Amino acid sequence: MKKILALGLSACMMASITACSTGTGASATTAGTSAETTADTAAASESAETTAAESGAGESAADTAAGNPEQTEPLLVYLNDFDAVIGDMFKEATGYDVEVVVGNGAETMSRIEAEKSNPQWDVVWIDSMYDIYNLSQDGSLLTDWEPENAANLTEFSKGLVPDNKCFYPTGTHAAGVLVYRNDIYDETTAPKTIDDLTDSRFADQVGMADPGVAAPAYPLAAEIMYEKGMEGGQEYFNTLFQQGLKVYPKNPQVVQALASGEISVALLQESNAYEMVNSGEPITIVWPEDGAPGSTRVAAINASTDQMEIAQMFVNFLLDADTQQALVNTGDEGYFEPSVEGVERKADRDPNAKLETADVAWGAENEADIKAWFADMSVQ
Amino acid sequence: MKLRENISGSLILAILTILVLLPLVTVLLQVVCPGLSLEDFAPGNLSLLLDVFVRPLWKRAFINSATMSLCTTVAGLLVAGILAHIRVRYDFPLAKLLDIVSWILLIMPSFILAQGWVFFASGNGIARSWLHIEGMNNFLFSFPGLVTVMVLCKYPMAYVTIKAALEWYPARLVHAARMNGASPFKAWTSVQLPLCLPTFFSAAMLIFMDTVGDYGMSSTITAVYSFPTLPYTIYSAICSSPVRFDMAGVLSLYLVVMIVIAMILQFYVMGRKRFDFLGTGTEQVMPKKAGPAVTGLLSVITGVFSLIALGIPIGSNFIMSFSDSFSIERFRFTLANYQNVLQPDGTLLAGVKNSLSLAAVAAVIGLIIGFAVAYILTYSQFKLKRLIDMLTLIAMAVPGVVLGIGYIFVWNQKWLQPLGLNLYGKPEILILASVASAIPLINRVLVGGMSKVPQELLTASQVQGAGLFRRLRTVLLPLLHSSMVSAVLAAFGGSVFNLAITTILYPPNYSTLPVYISDAYNDLNFGYSAAATIVGGTFIVAIMLLLEVLLNLGKRKRNADYT
Repeated sequence: MKKILALGLSACMMASITACSTGTGASATTAGTSAETTADTAAASESAETTAAESGAGESAADTAAGNPEQTEPLLVYLNDFDAVIGDMFKEATGYDVEVVVGNGAETMSRIEAEKSNPQWDVVWIDSMYDIYNLSQDGSLLTDWEPENAANLTEFSKGLVPDNKCFYPTGTHAAGVLVYRNDIYDETTAPKTIDDLTDSRFADQVGMADPGVAAPAYPLAAEIMYEKGMEGGQEYFNTLFQQGLKVYPKNPQVVQALASGEISVALLQESNAYEMVNSGEPITIVWPEDGAPGSTRVAAINASTDQMEIAQMFVNFLLDADTQQALVNTGDEGYFEPSVEGVERKADRDPNAKLETADVAWGAENEADIKAWFADMSVQ
Repeated sequence: MKLRENISGSLILAILTILVLLPLVTVLLQVVCPGLSLEDFAPGNLSLLLDVFVRPLWKRAFINSATMSLCTTVAGLLVAGILAHIRVRYDFPLAKLLDIVSWILLIMPSFILAQGWVFFASGNGIARSWLHIEGMNNFLFSFPGLVTVMVLCKYPMAYVTIKAALEWYPARLVHAARMNGASPFKAWTSVQLPLCLPTFFSAAMLIFMDTVGDYGMSSTITAVYSFPTLPYTIYSAICSSPVRFDMAGVLSLYLVVMIVIAMILQFYVMGRKRFDFLGTGTEQVMPKKAGPAVTGLLSVITGVFSLIALGIPIGSNFIMSFSDSFSIERFRFTLANYQNVLQPDGTLLAGVKNSLSLAAVAAVIGLIIGFAVAYILTYSQFKLKRLIDMLTLIAMAVPGVVLGIGYIFVWNQKWLQPLGLNLYGKPEILILASVASAIPLINRVLVGGMSKVPQELLTASQVQGAGLFRRLRTVLLPLLHSSMVSAVLAAFGGSVFNLAITTILYPPNYSTLPVYISDAYNDLNFGYSAAATIVGGTFIVAIMLLLEVLLNLGKRKRNADYT
């Protein structure tokens, strides 16, 4: 009996295994001045359909019958935003079906990693540029392919495309703008640069999301480390930790802490910051003149997808100006710097907003070390 | 007989291996075999196991989790024991409220309860802004505050288990003790209390395991004042890049080590003594009416406790559900959240439907497996039954996200496709995962109940010619009625709100209620998230109350038959 049991258990195990930034000047957006400019999601959704349909991003449904690739199953896209609109937009523009699996950046990367022996996804579209670059190092991604619409990338976004062309940026948002409670600080006392946060007058008042958990928080830490050098960056965060920096798992918790008065200053992801302002919270946004650390949303294609042509059409579609305009108009998720020319930003978004990102290869190479260092320091 | 026991035991072990052990092993194996590729076999990576003594975060997380879980277990057991005793022994106006409060708390996911506490106690929360109570935030974001909230969140599992056990009274043994001169207190400490030890240990294990593996509370409260726990650290490891499943595996192993230590402790204390006392000398305890002073006092205690344990977290969510602001301080009344939630074509209702379907199937399958597990643990001599016991506890303590990743490793293999068993990406995998999550609680509740029923009762009926199913139907099930009702309700309610596993495993275009609530929260729609919680929770509690009434109708009928 024991032998049978042992054999059974072993078989189960074996089957599993074998298959197996800075400056003194700043611009500000304050509560009450911009609430009326935000488009609501429903209207944006409608706009999305119209603009996408009018766009030349992909072929129309009628064209599908004229020799274009035949779709046997929906294109499976892993993403963390725009899940409510992107499927319909692409269907409207090309006639092809899209299914989405939405999750935060970490969960999406975990799924992709765990699926490695038998990937289910066709396209990944998330704001985890460095993670995606790491994914290309073992051949998981289609590389050395250039979509037609890449020619329309802005200078800033062109600089983000890695040498192996494993992904294309579809927009960059601030991973951390400076925000402060304007019922506690005014323009003269508020921080104006990221370096100001180390001033002792902000002790126990500063918060940010955990780079080890929140997708946009790593690009934030990485950019600071990159700009200041690894040692300089660590010294900067050490000072913040000594002064009681509060690290919350994700940006929504930072929002709650700011709203509840637990903290009064934060490095907060851009759309979260604007949502607070639009909601009437006593929050002022400060865009550092030297640039806010940016988090880039990128699209990449699974090297082993069996729907390569449709996946390429999808990525090309994301790089179309009309598509990105529709995404900007989708409400709260639309606060970002488009990656292509010819797209109007959110009206209430600072026109002088400047973004900086750490070098792709550097950020990817140092990600594990920076996250581990940050995690260990935060508990000391 | 022994052969039959071995076959049954092996079958149950095989099921639990597939549901729990195999997924966990695939994650643990990442330490020496990244990506489960034999080509990358690296035994040197085992040094990672010792990092708990090196890495500050890991060391702190381990100590924090152990300390917090121990304190919560002791305090939770005390609270649950006292409440169960009051509920079973006394008849007072608010007695039923204790059951209702405990059941609602039992099925509510900890992140929702934690959110409610944050809405209440944070800097500009309800306590300060509306009630003008100062200092609540300092209390909540401290170790005593965290343990208090944890106790109020986790005690219901112990309450349900202990209450089911206290409903039976070993009258003959107690009378014997009293006739030999024991005072009522002495009779309680020397007869009743020792006989309930298995139940108390079961209850303690439930609180400990659920606390040590809880991510919702960790991410909401402990993260705020830098109190990292193992589940939070595991989540950080999974969020690393490249993804460190090996670290998640090692940290999960620490959780398994804690379980083993707790089980050894339990075995050491209980040994091989017998605790079955249900026999002809046993009476069902009927609640007694006490004097007006005691009745009044018990009602006040129950009312205040219910207000704190349930009223604060759910009440805070209820208040936020009528607001479109981010904080209570700037509360603006709106009904829009409920209008959005209740849209007939709304996605939330689809999520509720999916969650209910999953929970119903998971509860039925979980009850069958959980019953079999409890039966084997209580009545069989199967040599590997300790392993079975441990597997059920692992399923509870190991964070859902780790088990979920293990499920992907196991059920997303190419060779399973021709067999039609590639379940990843299909709703069926959520059923398997929900069953795995439901079994620990079902099992513990039923073990607590079965430990009182002597095997002799079953043997006697067997001697009279009754087959297994007849023995179960006519002897065991009627005696386990309360435990069975508790188990099925807990399994159903818990599965509806199971977030961690469904987040990592849900198929395309198939979402569940907790995923919607969590997504709404992450999109800063705090009011919508709260409204969805209230609507979903009300719906599910109503179903559970209906179920309880229906199931207890049967009980009354059966009791009538046998008296």
